[in-house]
Amino acid sequence: MKKFRLYYEEYNRGPFQLLWSHFSRQHTALFGLTGVAILLLLALVTLVLIPQDPYFQDAEYLLLPPSWQADGMVKYPLGTDDLGRDLMSRLMRGSSYTFGLAILAVLGALAGGLLFGALAGMSKGFKSSTFNHLLDLALTIPSLLLAIVIVAVLGPGLTNTIWAIMLALLPQFVHGVRNAIQDQLKQDYVVAYRLDGANDWQILFSVILPNVWEQLILLSTMALSTAILDIAALGFLGLGAQSPTAEWGSMIADSLDSIYLAPWTVALPGLLIFIAVLSVNLVGDGLRVAMKKRREN
Amino acid sequence: MMKRCFLPLALLALASGCTPAPDAMTLNGLVYCAEGSPESFNPQLVTSGTTIDAISMQLYDRLLDIDANNGNLLPALATSWQISDDGLTYVFNLRTDVQFHQTAYFSPTRPLNAADIEFTFNRILDLNHPFHQTATEYPYFDSIAWHELVKSVKAATPQQIVFQLNKPDSSFLSTLATDFSAILSAEYGALLQKNKQLPLLDSMPIGTGPFKFREYKKNVLIRYYRNARYWRQSGDLDQLVIDIVPDDTKRLAKLLTHECDVAPIPRLAELSLLAKRSDFKVDQQTSLNVGYWALNTQKAPFNNVKVRQALAYAVNKQSILQAVYFGQAEEANSLLPPNSWGYNAQGQHRNFDLAKAKQLLNEAGYPNGFTLDIWAMPVQRTYNPNALKMAELLQADLAKIGVSANIVSYEWNTFRRKLRAGEHDSVLIGWTADNADPDNFLRPLLSCAAAISGSNRTNWCDSHYDQLIADAVLTADVNKRRQLYFQAQDYVAEQVPLIPIAHSQRFQVKSINVTGMHINPYGGISFTAAGKTR
Amino acid sequence: MMLRHLARRTFLLAFVLMALTVFSFSLNYMFPGDLLSNITGLRDISNEQRQELSLAMGLDQGYLQQYIDYTRRIVAGEWGLSFSSQQPVLAEVRSVLPATIELATYALVLSLFLGIPSGIIAAVRKEKWLDHTISGFALVGYSVPVFWWALLLIMVFSLQLGWLPTSGRIGVLYEIPHTTGLMLIDIWLSDLPYKHAAFRDAIIHLTLPTLVLATYPTTVMMRFVRESMINVLEQNYIKTARAKGLNRAQVLLKHGLRNALLPVTRQIGLQFSTLITLAMLTEVVFSWPGLGQWLIDSIYQRNYTAIQAGVLVISTLVIVVNISTEVLHTFFNPLARKF
Repeated sequence: MKKFRLYYEEYNRGPFQLLWSHFSRQHTALFGLTGVAILLLLALVTLVLIPQDPYFQDAEYLLLPPSWQADGMVKYPLGTDDLGRDLMSRLMRGSSYTFGLAILAVLGALAGGLLFGALAGMSKGFKSSTFNHLLDLALTIPSLLLAIVIVAVLGPGLTNTIWAIMLALLPQFVHGVRNAIQDQLKQDYVVAYRLDGANDWQILFSVILPNVWEQLILLSTMALSTAILDIAALGFLGLGAQSPTAEWGSMIADSLDSIYLAPWTVALPGLLIFIAVLSVNLVGDGLRVAMKKRREN
Repeated sequence: MMKRCFLPLALLALASGCTPAPDAMTLNGLVYCAEGSPESFNPQLVTSGTTIDAISMQLYDRLLDIDANNGNLLPALATSWQISDDGLTYVFNLRTDVQFHQTAYFSPTRPLNAADIEFTFNRILDLNHPFHQTATEYPYFDSIAWHELVKSVKAATPQQIVFQLNKPDSSFLSTLATDFSAILSAEYGALLQKNKQLPLLDSMPIGTGPFKFREYKKNVLIRYYRNARYWRQSGDLDQLVIDIVPDDTKRLAKLLTHECDVAPIPRLAELSLLAKRSDFKVDQQTSLNVGYWALNTQKAPFNNVKVRQALAYAVNKQSILQAVYFGQAEEANSLLPPNSWGYNAQGQHRNFDLAKAKQLLNEAGYPNGFTLDIWAMPVQRTYNPNALKMAELLQADLAKIGVSANIVSYEWNTFRRKLRAGEHDSVLIGWTADNADPDNFLRPLLSCAAAISGSNRTNWCDSHYDQLIADAVLTADVNKRRQLYFQAQDYVAEQVPLIPIAHSQRFQVKSINVTGMHINPYGGISFTAAGKTR
Repeated sequence: MMLRHLARRTFLLAFVLMALTVFSFSLNYMFPGDLLSNITGLRDISNEQRQELSLAMGLDQGYLQQYIDYTRRIVAGEWGLSFSSQQPVLAEVRSVLPATIELATYALVLSLFLGIPSGIIAAVRKEKWLDHTISGFALVGYSVPVFWWALLLIMVFSLQLGWLPTSGRIGVLYEIPHTTGLMLIDIWLSDLPYKHAAFRDAIIHLTLPTLVLATYPTTVMMRFVRESMINVLEQNYIKTARAKGLNRAQVLLKHGLRNALLPVTRQIGLQFSTLITLAMLTEVVFSWPGLGQWLIDSIYQRNYTAIQAGVLVISTLVIVVNISTEVLHTFFNPLARKF
């Protein structure tokens, strides 16, 4: 039955609702969003609640196969690694490290990017030009290489890795924020604000930021997938998370010894990294398509 | 692979009657995947098993050999020998048909004679020997204080060499049979002296062994060509390549894809799977070795014997045997393995007892425990296939008595260098026997001379112990020696400068088409009789 | 106008390289350990040597002078000794660089051969199942961690099936003389009796690493070409061409491709820098004796002189390729010359 309306009013959906309706029409994007949500939940919940201690070494059950195989046990649903630690708990705890810390790194880079990008975007002239050149330099070097160099200087370890990745992601955020701000500065409504007498800071906070945050979200999702891959790569190389930390990348490296006997110990952590990155990429793609569709309508 | 082209090439070589040119292009070779790079190409300068495996039996011969079955001494370059009644003079008669290697950088003009033996051993003993200073140390010989033992080495006739000793030593012949006593070429030495290229003696080697040196790419591979003039019966390989693969999973992978024909120290967990496969054969041998945990007694708190005893009670050897050795080893209570004739079956035995350990720590004055570093080798060894895992297991147990352990590891050569400098608190390391004499374990690992030379990782220098082992070689009476060795082992068990953990079986995996490669219970591996069927 | 652009780019190149050397120079100070050891690479410096070397390295003078000396040394090729091997770093870099270049080039070429056609097909068949399949594969390839992908392929093709080798550039029994350092070329140039077998063996060794390394750039190229092609196909001149009566193939070939593929030149440059980084991970998994594995090993061994040299070489390579492809791109595409 048609909805009863007391009076006739034009109902226009706001930009965010439009975006959401375009986004939610794509099944793949929703799938990705669910994935991200589950991982985020895992990352937070496993810090307090976890089936078993991910670091407890049960010397009796080394390299136990997953529970659905004949030699497996229900107590260890996905089996154990070569030191007798429960694989499932380690994988769950790994989400806090690989996924959770990646989010932290991206948030940090975002904050830094806002700061420096705003400075770069709002400034003009020679200062701006040199800054842009330095930025170009930083952008040409891939983030993983930059992260490896920083870790080479600071030394291996998880905290250093997070700092390294934050610093490595900073250039693309600064670049993105600066471009977004400069695009906005060309808009007519900014000119209108200036004519009204607003100074730079007021323009930045009242006009520009509300208009660019969607682009920043997009930038963040792309950076997030890079951050997850970089943390895992550094963990795999032994430069990031050190054993026995249950980070997915270093779990793969630790389990390399058993690759022939127990291939699932290598396959499962990698699969989770893959799922995490895939989900984030699906969300990113979905957002991009939704924004494009919204612009076209 | 190269079946079609090999036959004409071989015929050509036979027809011309001469050895193939140094750049012989043949694929009839064996690939051995080694677990590390050699430190030198001269066995006099090293004790590392990896280096000895790669170079010793391949490039060189010794005066005596050891019978793999019973540990007796056999003639090699020496055909016979006489010992004087007072045990101070040894005379050896040499073979006359031994040729040194002919390579691109050296052509010998004469067969081996006594001058070569004199050259070889005077390098170690004589400070004025032109090559003595090209090396900083002779670790094995220094650790048994050989320069104090041997008065002189002189060629009596071209076929006879005489050793004069300062005191009788019943392990002297065994020392000459170890891999370290490889015989070098005096003629080559003279050539290098003339060209002022002394260091090449150790990096571009010349010996009498079944293979000659062709090239070495650091950390990548060593290539040997066959020595066609070898005096012993040898296999038919034209090329031997030692591929350096430090990672044991990669070694296994190379074995499975047939990039390697033989691999040592296979991962024990996969042994049963490999044994089932029809294209591989797993060889097993009871080897004389020991893996132990050495405590640096020059650093506090390890200078306190109660602390050392406490740590000994905190080692869960049974769980280590399962997790690290997969049951392929036996628990060690002494440096000497049970199949050594010096082993005391009634010797002291410590159980895993955390309460006792805690109590001893309290008595020693460390009720709240302390922090220590466990240095773990990054490489696999026969006596310890996974030091890092062993360290993790120790770390977990030590935490229960309040001792917090950090695991330290470096790249292997860096590791050995730092170990030599004594930077460690404690280290997980071991030793494989070079001959059947118990002195080979007890002296290079715990004597005062060895503490100075570096192979004594505990830096423990005890005069009572040194006296016991010195007395043990003064007599040739096996029973008297055995008694002294029992006393020495008991003393070590009481003082605990090191904690013996396991005596491991020695394994080797090879492709089904590899023939003639047997594991040596003593010393390095030998490819002398190795061959490949097609 | 082209010349002006060239001049600006050259200036940017010089500026960026200078900034890189400043960063590399400051690494000497940022690395822990003895300053003199970090600069020269000598492990144990005796006290008399220390005086001499300090003077030679200009440590008594200001930072600016030290920096100038440092740049002079870099250009002259005096890159110091490697901590672990005590051999000149430049020689070591020279011996490992060709392997990486060879692998990266083959992977790049493969990615172009696979990525561009599939991107075009996906764009032309937009929103149909072919597009969805290709885009799906692309997304998967884009999201998969390269080292895990390499391990999966090794597990299947090497450990289970035993078809392909797991490491190295060629079987160790082959002795290939070192001419250029590029394996396939060296084999071809040599006159060994087993040349063909060696060539086949080298290709077999190249298969897995190239496939693994090419995965990411192929997918990026595919997504990029698809988007670029879709943009071009929506342009008015395409509609005009169709209206004029050209059929689909002619429209595609005459108008679509040239315009869509122009930005690809720029992408190639960007891909190269990602390739070099991914090559580092691939080299570690496959024990490929290239610059990436050498650099990672140097980091494990705290080999500071080697780390400096490696970072310098990789960054220079990346920057030079980036700027060159940008210039090329601008050369082909007048629209990009904007200032």
